[in-house]
Amino acid sequence: MITEEDFVEVYTLHAPKVYKLCLGYASGNQSLAKDWQQETFMKVWNHRKSFKNQSSIGTWIYRIAVNVCLSDLRKTKKYELAKRKTSIEEQDSQEDEYQTKKITKMYSCIERLSMQNKTLILLELEDVPQATIAKTMGLAHGAVRTRLTRIRKTLLKCMNNGQ
Amino acid sequence: MANDELNRVWKSQETDEKLELPDRIIAKAKKHRQKQIIGIVVMSVTVLILVLFTLHYITSYKNDFALGLMLMISSLIFRVILEFAYLLKVENKIVSLDSKSYRSYLKKHYQSRMKINYVVTPLCFGLYIYGFAKLLPFFKKEFSAGFYTYILVSGGISFILLIGLIASSILKENRFLQILRD
Repeated sequence: MITEEDFVEVYTLHAPKVYKLCLGYASGNQSLAKDWQQETFMKVWNHRKSFKNQSSIGTWIYRIAVNVCLSDLRKTKKYELAKRKTSIEEQDSQEDEYQTKKITKMYSCIERLSMQNKTLILLELEDVPQATIAKTMGLAHGAVRTRLTRIRKTLLKCMNNGQ
Repeated sequence: MANDELNRVWKSQETDEKLELPDRIIAKAKKHRQKQIIGIVVMSVTVLILVLFTLHYITSYKNDFALGLMLMISSLIFRVILEFAYLLKVENKIVSLDSKSYRSYLKKHYQSRMKINYVVTPLCFGLYIYGFAKLLPFFKKEFSAGFYTYILVSGGISFILLIGLIASSILKENRFLQILRD
């Protein structure tokens, strides 16, 4: 069973990645992503007795995180990307402005992906191993690899051409 | 090289949010679990009281007042219990299923919710209004004309608000089901 010490360890290791994953699902809405990240770890703690070591703790946490985000998608607001665009205008540094535009564009391209592809690429961007992604998603490892190559191409095309 | 560009852009984003410390998360989780347990206890006690109350009134006072009150309370409690059961079931699935299976489960879940939304909820709502209507003659007899009018008006407004709330929730769930199907 997961003890309090174990929890602190896995939290320190996985919480930032789970947060960024949720951020992708929430189209960049930081407070919503924080809520989902917290909800994920609250479930990890409350259901720690049901973790049976059949998969790694990381896989279990990512599964919960993806499911929490998916369940709560009703709360996402479509205007979030627009809000981010407005904040660009308030920035002084041109470099920052360029970077923020790129990130905003990336979010908008990720937003166009199907739900499953979105999850795949968000986990990959957080350097989660493909074997873990496959177990998290319930897909074959080979299928994950092929799909990720295709998703990356689609994303790059979208970011460079705006399509 | 091009792949690195994606990783570089993704990792370059700055996040303002400071994440909670793990002990705060544990405290919140414990509080949440405590609330769930309290919810279950309160609901069980309410159901028990309602059953005893029903048995007592139906056998002792076979009148419309008892029937109306009973219909209002029981339809409301039945709907709340149903909602609670759904929430608990989803919570268990969240921690036990992989993403693909969970998505399939959610589709089925929201399809069955449609049946609840279009059949069970209107039925409960109808029983609630019927129960309220049964009470009106007693209110008219017992209270002043002004207060009776107030009950009628506030009751009507509450029903309209409730219909709005149910409709908005149905629309939200329909939209979400559509997202899941895409």
